[in-house]
Amino acid sequence: MQLFNRRSIALGAAALFLSFEAGQALADRTLLNVSYDPTREFYKEFNAAFAADWKARTGETITIDQSHGGSGKQARAVIDGLQADVVTLALAGDVDQIANKTDKLPKDWAAKLPHNAAPYTSTIVFLVRKGNPKDIKDWSDLVKDGVQVITPNPKTSGGARWNYLAAWAYAEKALDGDEAKVKEWVADLYRNVPVLDTGARGSTTTFAQRGIGDVLISWENEAFLVQKEFGADNFDIVVPSLSILAEPPVAVVEGNAKAKGNLDVAEAYLKFLYTPEGQKLAAKNFFRPVDPSAADPADLARFPKVELVAIDKDFGGWSKAQKEFFADGAIFDQIYRPTN
Amino acid sequence: MAMSDRFLPLAHTPERATSETALTRAVLIAIALLFLAAVLFLPLVTVFMEALRKGWGTLFESFSDPDTLAAVRLTLIVAAIAVPFNAIVGLAASWAIAKFEFKGKNLLLTLIDLPFSISPVISGLVFVLLFGAQGWLGPWLVAHDIQIIFAVPGIVLATVLVTFPFVARELIPLMQSQGTSEEEAALMLGASGWYTFLHVTLPNVKWALLYGVLLCNARAMGEFGAVSVVSGHIRGLTNTMPLHIEILYNEYNFVGAFAVASLLACLALLTLLAKSLLEWRFSDELAATARRH
Amino acid sequence: MSVPVRVRNLEKNFGRYPALKGVSLDVEAGELVALLGPSGSGKTTLLRAIAGLEQADGGQVLFGDIDANSLSLRERRIGFVFQQYALFKHMTVFDNIAFGLRARPRSSRPSEAAIKSRVLDLLHLVQLDGLEVRYPAQLSGGQRQRVALARALAIEPRVLLLDEPFGALDARVRKDLRKWLRELHQRTGHTTLFVTHDQDEAFELADRIAILDKGCIEQVGTAAEILEHPATPFIDSFIEGIARREAQARDWTKPHVVASR
Repeated sequence: MQLFNRRSIALGAAALFLSFEAGQALADRTLLNVSYDPTREFYKEFNAAFAADWKARTGETITIDQSHGGSGKQARAVIDGLQADVVTLALAGDVDQIANKTDKLPKDWAAKLPHNAAPYTSTIVFLVRKGNPKDIKDWSDLVKDGVQVITPNPKTSGGARWNYLAAWAYAEKALDGDEAKVKEWVADLYRNVPVLDTGARGSTTTFAQRGIGDVLISWENEAFLVQKEFGADNFDIVVPSLSILAEPPVAVVEGNAKAKGNLDVAEAYLKFLYTPEGQKLAAKNFFRPVDPSAADPADLARFPKVELVAIDKDFGGWSKAQKEFFADGAIFDQIYRPTN
Repeated sequence: MAMSDRFLPLAHTPERATSETALTRAVLIAIALLFLAAVLFLPLVTVFMEALRKGWGTLFESFSDPDTLAAVRLTLIVAAIAVPFNAIVGLAASWAIAKFEFKGKNLLLTLIDLPFSISPVISGLVFVLLFGAQGWLGPWLVAHDIQIIFAVPGIVLATVLVTFPFVARELIPLMQSQGTSEEEAALMLGASGWYTFLHVTLPNVKWALLYGVLLCNARAMGEFGAVSVVSGHIRGLTNTMPLHIEILYNEYNFVGAFAVASLLACLALLTLLAKSLLEWRFSDELAATARRH
Repeated sequence: MSVPVRVRNLEKNFGRYPALKGVSLDVEAGELVALLGPSGSGKTTLLRAIAGLEQADGGQVLFGDIDANSLSLRERRIGFVFQQYALFKHMTVFDNIAFGLRARPRSSRPSEAAIKSRVLDLLHLVQLDGLEVRYPAQLSGGQRQRVALARALAIEPRVLLLDEPFGALDARVRKDLRKWLRELHQRTGHTTLFVTHDQDEAFELADRIAILDKGCIEQVGTAAEILEHPATPFIDSFIEGIARREAQARDWTKPHVVASR
């Protein structure tokens, strides 16, 4: 049910009180992309590019609405009935949830698009204050006394789980897989976290805007974005010796798209992510493109080489990791005791 | 009577109530003012200063953003539905409670207070549980292609729920203190129930009703928690002003965020101004209404 | 115009507490009867039940030959004066008195001109000429009382019921009003019942007095009958003060008039 549309909104203040009149009549098709927090800027640009491309190819004007929030929360909303045509979330696990709890998504959604349906990847890096006053070079520096680490709550935030798993992977390697010691090390790390925000963007704001903490464990794209928004002379990016390969997946929510008559445009929308133009925009917005050939070399140069563990290879996939670490009563609950 | 008798001795020793020295009083007043300045005035000033950080031009630019305009419009629409609805239902409920004896009256009173005592997040979640695709009525709604949550109806419902107590809470104590004798007099004089309501009950509570409506309106426009749960956060479609503020803030668009926030603050200040104007303009009548027997 | 009021075995309970235990009372047309009793005796409940403001649990009220239960409040046409007058405080004196006429259905509603002349007549009757533009808050207690009476008379009532009509007034005003009310009653001839807890008031004003205690009528009679033949020990003790003052007064003034306190 479409109560408003963008054209009528564009009429601005004059139309403010006239409200509903515009309705369906003016609307061409409208696509709803339900996404997670750090993709706001990327999809703003990408949507414009896709709409132009679609218009050129079919003559149809397409409007793409965006909804952003924590990845898990967004998946929940789609399960509860948010009419997403496509989801572009942080974790395959969140898309799996939609596939498990509703019949709107095929269980093999990941096989429908290349690269496990992940058109871009990212990794986890550190953002520190200019000049790196606490001299943070690698994960081992994060457990030192007097270092304040900002990372969101892995119970609620997809990004936070990547952070957690990257830290775990590092500890496992550094401590030769001694699980008791690894647990203790990760517990030490979370003891240094003064504020556990619910989402990645919340942590970023805590660190960058409110000035709390010495180091932010962050998506690489988010770290670049902070430099862009707050000025590169305020923050430095530190790449640790080992990190994790994050593959944010995309999928058509077929049940919704079919019901709204949007299936063709929804599929085209996601495929466009894999085109040179889509890949170039991903690189420009600090996501690592799966096909770098079309990207601007200057954009690519910003992504340093780093040893990456992968969720499937090293943690046995999301559902296993979820159960082992983040379910109620699992390892994170055991090691995390809020300070004070 | 017993009550006033019990408090009588106090009235005979008024010096006790003001025995503090001038210094103590000054300190207490200063603390109160400082507190107000710190928790009310400063944040308010901050909002406007942040909004103006990059000048008036940027401020007006943020207002012309279509998503912002859509949020303003949605907020006004939601308030325009929720406030009259709550005014009418709140009035009816207060009338029933204050003027009639019936079974389940205490339960009704408790229910009216419920939205005040439960977290707005819960208020939102109940609608997800009811109307969500996985909720009780979800399958039926889906079958009939009716979208309630993640759309305007859900936002209106959540707002109605959260703001319901304001009118009723304002009216019930007044109506109870006024008693029923004027209504009884009207009925004895041959007036119908409806005539009595319009000509006797309503005029006696109109100021309290207006207060309630103003408070209800302020909350309806400012509600965040419950609306956030049912909104779906679709930009330009289901974001109210408070939700849009959060989005802008999270996008590092601080000027935009504080611009909308200052607009919201202005609406709140206007509400307060309207309330004060009413108090000032009709102080005699208000006093007369408050005074009883 | 005026009708007799007959009360037959009226019962009323508030929860488990019985307020009226089968009360019967006959009031003749044009008679002025006082319902006298200590607080909690059921006198106000009896008055409200006759008015229809309380639903009786048993028994019957008749206005002439008509069962009151078959009449709506509007059809009963009862002039009721409340203890605290219950004037509409947001209306002028004029609008208060005109209320009952304006509230009638369009078909039986008098014209504004007729209403105006009726209201001014009533104001004259209660000696409040020229006060029609005032609000209740701008009146003295005695004036409010008379506005309430005028308002009740405006609907041309079959019966006039007054609940503690002088209860809220100071002693001197009360005395004046009593005399005035007695005269007014003689002039208008309404069947009138009034509730009071004040023996002096009842004995001075009423044609007959009904004394209630604990939900029952203990005795009904004229002042002289009750004073000379108190029916029960309760009545004896309840009117003791009156009887003593009456005896003192009888020595030097005419009967049935009570000296002021």
